[in-house]
Amino acid sequence: MTRHWTTHRHGLRHLLAVALLTIPSAAIADPDTYLEAMRGRALVTAGDCVACHTAPGGAPFAGGLALQTPFGAIMTPNLTPDNATGIGSWSADDFARAMHEGKRPNGTRLYPAFPYPSYTKVTRADADAIFAYLRSLAPVSNVVNRNTLPFPFNIRTSMLAWNAMFFTPGEFKPDPAKSETYNRGAYLVEGLGHCGVCHTPMNALGANKADHAFEGGRIDNWTAPNITNDAQLGLGKWSVDDVVQYLKNGQARGVIASGPMKDVVENSTSKMPDDDLKAMAVYLKERGAAGGATPSPVAATDGRMKVGEAIFVDTCAACHVRSGEGIPRVFPKLAGATIAVQDDPASLIHVVITGGQAAATATHPTAPTMPSFGYRLSDEQIAAVVTYVRNSWGNAASPVTAGEVKAVRGKVTGAAD
Amino acid sequence: MHTDDRSAMRAKFAPPTETPRHASMSRRSLLATAALLITTSGAAAKVVTKVLPWRPNEVYPVTPVTPGGWLFFTAEEAAVVDAIVDRLIPADELGPGAKESGVTTFIDRQLTGPYGGHDWLYMQGPFATNPLPTQGLQSPLTPRQQYRQGLAALAAYCKANYNGRGFADLSGDEKDKLLAGMEKGDVKFDGFSSRMLFNAVHGNTMEGFFADPIYGGNKDMAGWKLIGFPGVRYDFRDVIDNPNKPYTLPPVSMQGQPAWGVR
Repeated sequence: MTRHWTTHRHGLRHLLAVALLTIPSAAIADPDTYLEAMRGRALVTAGDCVACHTAPGGAPFAGGLALQTPFGAIMTPNLTPDNATGIGSWSADDFARAMHEGKRPNGTRLYPAFPYPSYTKVTRADADAIFAYLRSLAPVSNVVNRNTLPFPFNIRTSMLAWNAMFFTPGEFKPDPAKSETYNRGAYLVEGLGHCGVCHTPMNALGANKADHAFEGGRIDNWTAPNITNDAQLGLGKWSVDDVVQYLKNGQARGVIASGPMKDVVENSTSKMPDDDLKAMAVYLKERGAAGGATPSPVAATDGRMKVGEAIFVDTCAACHVRSGEGIPRVFPKLAGATIAVQDDPASLIHVVITGGQAAATATHPTAPTMPSFGYRLSDEQIAAVVTYVRNSWGNAASPVTAGEVKAVRGKVTGAAD
Repeated sequence: MHTDDRSAMRAKFAPPTETPRHASMSRRSLLATAALLITTSGAAAKVVTKVLPWRPNEVYPVTPVTPGGWLFFTAEEAAVVDAIVDRLIPADELGPGAKESGVTTFIDRQLTGPYGGHDWLYMQGPFATNPLPTQGLQSPLTPRQQYRQGLAALAAYCKANYNGRGFADLSGDEKDKLLAGMEKGDVKFDGFSSRMLFNAVHGNTMEGFFADPIYGGNKDMAGWKLIGFPGVRYDFRDVIDNPNKPYTLPPVSMQGQPAWGVR
């Protein structure tokens, strides 16, 4: 400090001093753990932790998002290293125990809305790296009510029985008969990626049905489609590169990620290394095909199809094109799109009612938007047009009833406001 | 209510009364005024970055007009407007006319809304006494006032000149002759421009006959069927790619078309 510093610079110096005092020690990245933390950041991206651990408009990782489960809403906890409200007082062992066993430092049990049945497969080294990254975040004080479930689900010891039935702890074991790429993909898909949480159907107790892995499920009133190698319902017609392009850019083969997958692509997969995306694609393509039998299409002469066709031509064809081919990169293709023929039509109904916005990525930043038609089409009309989309241009899937539309409409209308 | 809106608007756009002390202050106070206008006018200025502005279920739908009864007209006024629009676009072998298509309902509902008060027009004058045709409306009268005063003047004119009969009671030829005189401005009403009334009904009849049925006129898309207008479609590449082939799709309105089934 030299004497020619003028008085107002003292003010600045005081400000700096105050700023340094107010940055708690945990936020200052320790140079010794920098590489570890950066590795953890990549893993946190692969796990898309930010998606659930951030409230709408809230600080990233500070928790407070209400996760809607069939049993009630669960508020996600604060992952920043704040001592009072976050994980500031946790040790690396505490963190690894939460990831691997679904237990808090005090031994009480977490709910599997936190996908510890997947994260148990994450190696201890990776769990430590994730912890190192979370420790490097600026602590945010954010009190989250962690006891929002109604009776009897608020009894956390009930997870003992649930775990006994559905939880198999243990790190990922590579299959020595398979390639390194396959095993890397399996580690990511089954572990941090926790793809099965959405893409595997759930049983009545909220556990993924192990014998129907990746055959498709429902999340937030959207369909998570079959991502096995099934030719009709899954990725059977997709090449490994198609899958990589989809995860990286949000679109491939004329279809564009929307609904919750938009967030997965934007927050997570578009930021992952190509090698990891390729590994995930190889695993999904090679691990096998499973899915229901393809029904024969509803006849074009069916009354619902006639009504559906009229609505499609008048309302949808301007963008999705009369032939259902869409416009590459802008308007999704419906002909041959697997989302159109899933047994569960929730996504089709949902997007017609509320509209939707597709994923925006660095290479495809447009984020095309579909307008809402819920105000304009009745339940019967939406059922007809969705039935038409599911059974035209070579598509074949079960017809949709007005009752199904009504059920989805009741959950998604006005929900965003 | 509309007058209140106007005076509020006037106050808002009034120049600042305080005299700026020097030039730089002048610019600053101008900026301050501009900022205030943005924050108080209700048209919230929004900076959009990184994400596109879209929310699920975001729509600004029109409330469909439910026919039946009158919200602005008296029964007598409505009967006269019915009689006028029936002469302007009569039913014939090509299809229903303006009256059958609900044009009077369309005008009635429009007069109760912002159009009826010219809420979106500058209405403070000065008004030219002998305007060029390109100068548009030169009157402080809102459409509501034009209809109310104009129809009263027409009723008085008919009573005085057709042995006490009202417009609706005249023969077709008498109606046409009177309307033609109003169109030219040759017919002199007491205290109101007959031409202004004619122009109002004439313009609104065309609007009602060809506007989307959701607004109360153009029932069953009769106006669109008459002229072959396709309705609210917006992609005609298939048609353009097939020149000299007949266009076969039926018109479609904001609320659909019969092939969509029952709502």
